[in-house]
Amino acid sequence: MARNRKNQSAAVRFGPALKALLICLFIGGSGVGYVWQQNQLLELGRQKAEKEKRLNLLRVQNSQLGRHLAELQSPKSLETRLKELNLGLSMAQPTQIVRLVDAPLTPAAKRILSMHPAERQYAERRTAALPAP
Amino acid sequence: MALLLVAAFAGLGFRLVDLQVVRHDDLSREAAGRRESTIIHPSRRGDILDARGNVLATSLFVKTVCADPSLLGTNQTVVARALAPQLKMNEAELAEKLRVHAWKDQRGKERVDRYVILKRKVSLEDWEKIRAAMKSLSFGVDEKKLSRRDRAFYLNLRQRAIYTEPVDDQLRIYPAGTLAAHVLGFTAATDKLVEGHAVTELVGKDGIEAAFNSALNGVTGWRQTEKDVGSQELVLFREEDIASRPGLNVALTLDASVQDMVESELAKGMERNAPVSISGIVVRPSTGAILAMATLPNYDPNQIGSKTPIANLRNRVITDTFEPGSTFKAVVVSAALNEQAVSLNEILYCENGVFSFGGYTLHDAGHHFGNLSVEDIVAKSSNIGAAKVGIKLGEVRLHKYVRDFGFGDPTGITLPGEARGTVHPVRSWYKVSIAQISMGQGLTVTPLQMAMAVSAIANYGRLMRPMLVDHLEDEHKQEVFKYQPQAVRQVISEETVKLMVQAMKRVVLPGGTAPQAALEHYTVAGKTGTGQKPPYGSRKYFSSFIGFFPADSPEICIAVFLDEPDPKRYYGGETAGPIFKAIAERVAAYLAIRPDIQAPSDQPLQKPSSNPPEVIAQTGLPSTLTTSRTGRNF
Repeated sequence: MARNRKNQSAAVRFGPALKALLICLFIGGSGVGYVWQQNQLLELGRQKAEKEKRLNLLRVQNSQLGRHLAELQSPKSLETRLKELNLGLSMAQPTQIVRLVDAPLTPAAKRILSMHPAERQYAERRTAALPAP
Repeated sequence: MALLLVAAFAGLGFRLVDLQVVRHDDLSREAAGRRESTIIHPSRRGDILDARGNVLATSLFVKTVCADPSLLGTNQTVVARALAPQLKMNEAELAEKLRVHAWKDQRGKERVDRYVILKRKVSLEDWEKIRAAMKSLSFGVDEKKLSRRDRAFYLNLRQRAIYTEPVDDQLRIYPAGTLAAHVLGFTAATDKLVEGHAVTELVGKDGIEAAFNSALNGVTGWRQTEKDVGSQELVLFREEDIASRPGLNVALTLDASVQDMVESELAKGMERNAPVSISGIVVRPSTGAILAMATLPNYDPNQIGSKTPIANLRNRVITDTFEPGSTFKAVVVSAALNEQAVSLNEILYCENGVFSFGGYTLHDAGHHFGNLSVEDIVAKSSNIGAAKVGIKLGEVRLHKYVRDFGFGDPTGITLPGEARGTVHPVRSWYKVSIAQISMGQGLTVTPLQMAMAVSAIANYGRLMRPMLVDHLEDEHKQEVFKYQPQAVRQVISEETVKLMVQAMKRVVLPGGTAPQAALEHYTVAGKTGTGQKPPYGSRKYFSSFIGFFPADSPEICIAVFLDEPDPKRYYGGETAGPIFKAIAERVAAYLAIRPDIQAPSDQPLQKPSSNPPEVIAQTGLPSTLTTSRTGRNF
């Protein structure tokens, strides 16, 4: 009985120590976790700020390139470049322009054009000539 | 000992209460001021585009570079030498700006300037170079051997002595320079408060920039956040982050290539005829869309400043009014034909060039016409003939048609500062007024009103509101608002138009007043004008030619105006006519307008040559749609 009591008392002493250890671990772990999490948040924030800066810089570069493109596309700049290259380009004369007049669509063609693409494919297959044997 | 401890604790308690209770508000405000920060996101002003999407006006963010001379010590020369090339400034001038300037405040305390603006509108690229130059600045000392305090001084100098304003400015850029300057207008910078911070904003002062200022300006955003001791943002503590909304892009009906053609031909005309100013308008009569609108002399909106003459800033096409002269006969004859007061073949006696009416003597300039048909009156531009047509029409009806053609009212173009011209009510007319007005005197009009009136004849009698803006779009090129052509009213019938076109075609034929305006591949209908400027007899004229082609199915109406051309050669037919022709030939080729005349010089295409002809599918769409949006013809 006494031995049992002794054994019991040993078990009781070990239990609280374990509990205390677990609580300490939990508190310590929570603290470290909290610090780690805050650190991560700050680090992600820093990365986010850097990426935002980079995005802004790219936007600015994009608008600068856009401005440069606009300058190059301006009629004066194109004319100057044409003179520099001396390619002999000139405005097309009315007789050099060939106009192709589209024939009016037949009702059948109009119907096919208004179809869903899948239906149109099916209709075209059906109306197509058979392949040569 | 106990007493000392009690006293110490009492002292600490007092300090605690003082800091946490008595001065709590002040201190917490000061702490918040050091920690919290509001970052302004300026909104980018929208672009102005031409009909093909070419950028005519755009914005770039730029920095205002400042200095804190109190952090420089005696290193002004070193810093000036490093930064002068990047700032594109004189080294000595920069060193002077960096020198410490001390002054005394109201309490007599000595203070130094810690905010000196070195340069405005510095590009971001240049600012990065400035930062790099400051980082790598060498002062000729081994900083590792210096005391901690001295090291901190150099660190501060490199990082904080040169800085930028917290909010970026915008620089408005017009990549095509002077092209369409009067249409685009210009901007000026003004300050406004956003979240308690002064933000410099661009405000349109003229042209489209002013008319569409609210659409072009976006909405400024802001961010409330916190910063660390090194002034770096702590993203974790962001509270509000409102993104800015960029301004809308304004897409014009104007075509930069057509505009360039018009401006270059006007420049040649300016050289030949030496007028005070010269203006040109290209309109699509069916929609009222303006493809080009130019006035010379002009200005460069990139370099607007005190050196630009005020007169050059005026868009004379809409702001200046003049007595139109003979171009107005097109209006009078149209009205008389529409009211069947006269017929085209009706013969009127032109008094051999001298006609007394209402106590005045009217003349036909340089001619002594006898009997002329109404068609001849238009072709030969007889003043007396036109006066007789007007008299036959009557005062009330003439006044009605003058107003119906849009004179005396602004056309409604989306540009600021449009004049309405002067059309007196009939009750204020003198007896001679009906004859004067029929000749294009006794009333004033703007060049745009005149161009739109002739466009109405070209548009089968329907007057259109001039259209300069096609649509508004967001920064992703998504259309936000589309402007539609607006018909003002049907002024004359289609039958009248046919008769009028028949008469106006003869103006450019031999025997007409402007054979120089005839085109090789297109029939042209037009009217010349040579108005005297008051005081009459001062040999100052306003010469013009307004025409459209192909005459029977008009696609383009072109108007050319010269203010006070060289008095040796001032008739509209010989001054404005050739300019009209030069513009028309280039614009017709560029827009691939279908010719309606087989010219003798035309050779039918036999076989593909080394330079293959351009092939354009004609699908019944307007000719501008047959070329691709970005495609160019040369």
